Amino acid sequence: MLPETAPFPADQIVALNRIISGSSAEQRTWLSGFLAGYQAANTPQPATVAPPARRVPLTILFGTESGNAEMLADVARKAAGKLGFAARLLDMADATPAQIAGIQNLLVIASTWGEGDPPQRAADFFAALMADDAPRLENVRYAVLALGDRAYAKFCETGRLFDERFAALGARRVAERVECDLDYEAPAGAWIDGTLGVLQAEVGEPEAGAVIHVDFARPTTGVSGWNRTRPFEAEITERIRLSGSRSTSDTWHVELSLEGSGIEYEPGDSLGFIPRNDPALVDAVLDATGLAANASLRTRLIEQYDITTLTRSPRVEGWQVIDLLESDRRRMSEEELLSLLRPLAPRYYSIASSRKAVPDEAHLLIASVRYEAHGRARHGVASVDVAERRKSGDRIPVFLKPNTHFRLPADPDRPIIMIGPGTGVAPFRAFMQERDAIGARGRNWLVFGHRNYTHDFLYQLEWQDLLKRGVLTRLDVAFSRDQPEKRYVQHALLDARRELFAWVQEGAAIYVCGDANAMAKDVHATLQQVLGADALDVLRREGRYLRDVY
Amino acid sequence: MSTDVRPPSANEAIKANSRFLRGTIADGLTRAETGSLSDDDQQLTKFHGIYLQDDRDLRAERGRKKMEKAFIFMARLRVPGGVLTPAQWLAAEMIACERGNGTLRLTTRQTIQFHGIIKSNLRQAIRGLHDALLDTISACGDVNRNVIARVNPWQSRAHGEVAGLAQAIGAHLLPKSRAWHEIWIDGEQIAGSEEQDEPIYGRTYMPRKFKIAVALPPHNDVDVFAHDLGFIAIEEGGRIAGYDVVVGGGMGMTHGEPDTFPRTGDVIGFCSPEQAVDVAEKVVTVQRDFGDRSDRKHARLKYTIERMGLDAFRAELDQRLGYALTPARSFAFTDNGDRLGWVQGDNGAWHCTLFVENGRVRELAGLHAIAELGIGRFIITPNQNLVLADIPPDRKQEVTMLLEQHGLVAPVSGLRRNALACVALPTCGLALAESERYLPDLVTRLEDELERVGLAQDDITIRMTGCPNGCARPYLAEIGLVGRSPGIYNLYLGGAFDGSRMNKLYRRDVDGDAIVAALGTLLRDYAEGRHAGERFGDFAIRAGHIRPTTSGNRFHADLSPELRS
Repeated sequence: MLPETAPFPADQIVALNRIISGSSAEQRTWLSGFLAGYQAANTPQPATVAPPARRVPLTILFGTESGNAEMLADVARKAAGKLGFAARLLDMADATPAQIAGIQNLLVIASTWGEGDPPQRAADFFAALMADDAPRLENVRYAVLALGDRAYAKFCETGRLFDERFAALGARRVAERVECDLDYEAPAGAWIDGTLGVLQAEVGEPEAGAVIHVDFARPTTGVSGWNRTRPFEAEITERIRLSGSRSTSDTWHVELSLEGSGIEYEPGDSLGFIPRNDPALVDAVLDATGLAANASLRTRLIEQYDITTLTRSPRVEGWQVIDLLESDRRRMSEEELLSLLRPLAPRYYSIASSRKAVPDEAHLLIASVRYEAHGRARHGVASVDVAERRKSGDRIPVFLKPNTHFRLPADPDRPIIMIGPGTGVAPFRAFMQERDAIGARGRNWLVFGHRNYTHDFLYQLEWQDLLKRGVLTRLDVAFSRDQPEKRYVQHALLDARRELFAWVQEGAAIYVCGDANAMAKDVHATLQQVLGADALDVLRREGRYLRDVY
Repeated sequence: MSTDVRPPSANEAIKANSRFLRGTIADGLTRAETGSLSDDDQQLTKFHGIYLQDDRDLRAERGRKKMEKAFIFMARLRVPGGVLTPAQWLAAEMIACERGNGTLRLTTRQTIQFHGIIKSNLRQAIRGLHDALLDTISACGDVNRNVIARVNPWQSRAHGEVAGLAQAIGAHLLPKSRAWHEIWIDGEQIAGSEEQDEPIYGRTYMPRKFKIAVALPPHNDVDVFAHDLGFIAIEEGGRIAGYDVVVGGGMGMTHGEPDTFPRTGDVIGFCSPEQAVDVAEKVVTVQRDFGDRSDRKHARLKYTIERMGLDAFRAELDQRLGYALTPARSFAFTDNGDRLGWVQGDNGAWHCTLFVENGRVRELAGLHAIAELGIGRFIITPNQNLVLADIPPDRKQEVTMLLEQHGLVAPVSGLRRNALACVALPTCGLALAESERYLPDLVTRLEDELERVGLAQDDITIRMTGCPNGCARPYLAEIGLVGRSPGIYNLYLGGAFDGSRMNKLYRRDVDGDAIVAALGTLLRDYAEGRHAGERFGDFAIRAGHIRPTTSGNRFHADLSPELRS
């Protein structure tokens, strides 16, 4: 209890005594730490610098596929740093459970991929942690932030499994798991703030009292400062349907002017694009809900809301919002409709150009997604937006999304093998433009595939030119629908297995870009077959087996 | 033997340096970045029955889409006499569906063309044919092409002998090079195989393509006067007594170059059946040695003979034969088309000739079902039709039902059943105008005129080609149409119905409307003014609409004044 001699007015002494007497031992400990820190922070620095207080180590473990988890991990690291933690990032690609067992304070940020899978670069760590021989984690304090996409059945599955597994191995959960959909900014920011606050209290962090607040509106992507909430309006300067008129696919080459944006992308990076919904689909949604007269709502639905993805498990597999609405047509309030929808998320496309070849431009390769389900033609929101509704001269909102895990080798002499069927070839066009521009001497081998040689050979004349000039060393192709037996890039790899082995022996790095579900898995299996699973694992750890799959 | 001082054409060096037709084809097949082959190899694959083409419908879009031309290959079978077993028909159909564009194109050389094969499928396609005991060797190129013969060796003993001669000549003049097998079948070269020689052709093969046909009167379905070399069987008592020999026919010419012209062959004598193969070889060697190897537009035998004179040619031939041909026997042809429907052969078996418009088989199901019966033969006719031959009498009903079930025996007009068109657009690189895709529509318009004047079932020959090279033998039709530019044709009239006289230019550069208008008038006149049994081509001459073409070198002569340029 405060003595009457305490330097406070009498009423404040009473109030403080009420608080202190009603507090727990823990709270009092915290408060003493807080006050000590507060004092330190508000006292003018003495002339001589005091030795720094011991900073509490904090590890932020992330498993990332598209880069969002990594980006959030970095946000958390900066925030923790401000709170006085000695925070460091750890990529699951480089982590082992044994390493984790020695960590006291751990934040886990994990995304879920495909059908509930961990990010591919995190797969080994995930498997090791799930294994029977995983080490106990009794000394670990942790919390999990899970990222996912409600369009997929097993939403945030990986984060959930991590959370359960850490607990099962004896680690102590200091904050509840938060699961984020594509509009992760607000919940992720709150989780970072809240969890760091709890940890700070747990460890009696010396800088207690400093208030942080994660602000996603600040630029997070490079010096140019454009991001998903503040995108750059890039003009479409060229728009070419690369697919032949008899192609069964519909792939577009789109050239954007980045002039004045300051966006400095590297080969391998992606560009985020904020699409607009198909007005016809918006009208159908409004019509089904009796809201057709609401013009301002119409505009918001076109520009701001995801009007296809059902955020709750659909009654019928493959249903979208419109199917649900039309199955039960009734008047709705604006609020009721909006409660069914999530914000419209950007779509990301690998940049298919190098600034060294086309300064102030970024080229994208976009395959429009079209199919039919439940009696209705379905259109990919962003791809069909570009393919059908945007014209040359239009401006589209874009922002840079760096992809630091998919870069050309630092050594320009290192040979590379690029496996990129379909639109997966996009970054390799950027790689070749870059290597051509800088006169890199490393050999380059491209393995491309698609449906039909005659109608789907994307950038064929450019590859021919690169081959003729010796920039591209080797080209193998696999077109699946040209012959009775299906032929895919993995078959081309298998056919060329001796050369593949030799290139890798000679130091080649392997890059895979494109479809995650089938292609990347089949290619992985073939690479394991040709090179050996252990050798492929070594390549991955050496950064010579890189994948950008989606 | 030539004292020519002009430089040889580029193709001569390509052939000479090709290591007997190998070139760099095998390497070119492995180049994934292009669906094409090198320029030289494109010339050499022709000797293997394979043409590089591109889909010309797509040309305009390709560059903008950053893609090369839509290259595709055409592969042409070598089937002397056009005879396939049902199993071979099924194999051809499967290859067309799995590796080509899903159609079979029956041609005027009694063979099948497979269109739309992309490079990566080429070897598999050829292997598939080889597995069915078929090949494409020398179906194109500067060699003796597929030998054609009066259809249906099962119809009579004489028919069989004629087909036998076609087989024998084809086999005798087949290149000896192993290149085809190495490139397409084995996939590797056999050590030392390049050392072989071509005893008949030599390293540079022929100056130009060489075509041989064997006819059996009274039908001239092979158009025996249209080939470098023809044999006209002379039948005595059901046996072939021997053959009249015809030399120097050929259809091709070039627009605007009057020293190029189609030519009907000359009958130069008679040989025995035993001498026929030898005669073929020696005619080939005379042309090999005397043909023009500098200018490919003048390289066919017809120009050699025009240059040497027929007597000098005959003397050279006799000397090489070591004997003289005896005087030609007489023969009579009635027509150069096919007779549709069923006929019964000498041995009681049945044969059915099916009309295949322009030779393009698109609906494969009916013929597939018939082939599955495993009976008879499938014979491609020189008029692009198909004969189901040698059907046992007790199976005829079954075949008839299948034909009806699949709509393969629908009646057609007299003009349509005598219509021929070359392939032309979109695949043929030479085409200046549409042919196969246009003639059926034009015939439909003309049928209205014919109906009106009561000629709907009269046989009148009409043939269209997309360029002047003459694959559908347009200069031997009563009505010939030769492409000049998209939608524009030259109209020729006055050919003989039996293929013995060429037509002559009647209208230059006319479109469909003008063709229909001009022919409409003429056909009405014909219906009203013809003599009994008089053919349209003969009528056009008698009525003074056109002068007769008496020989190849008079093809461009005797035009009406307004056409003389």
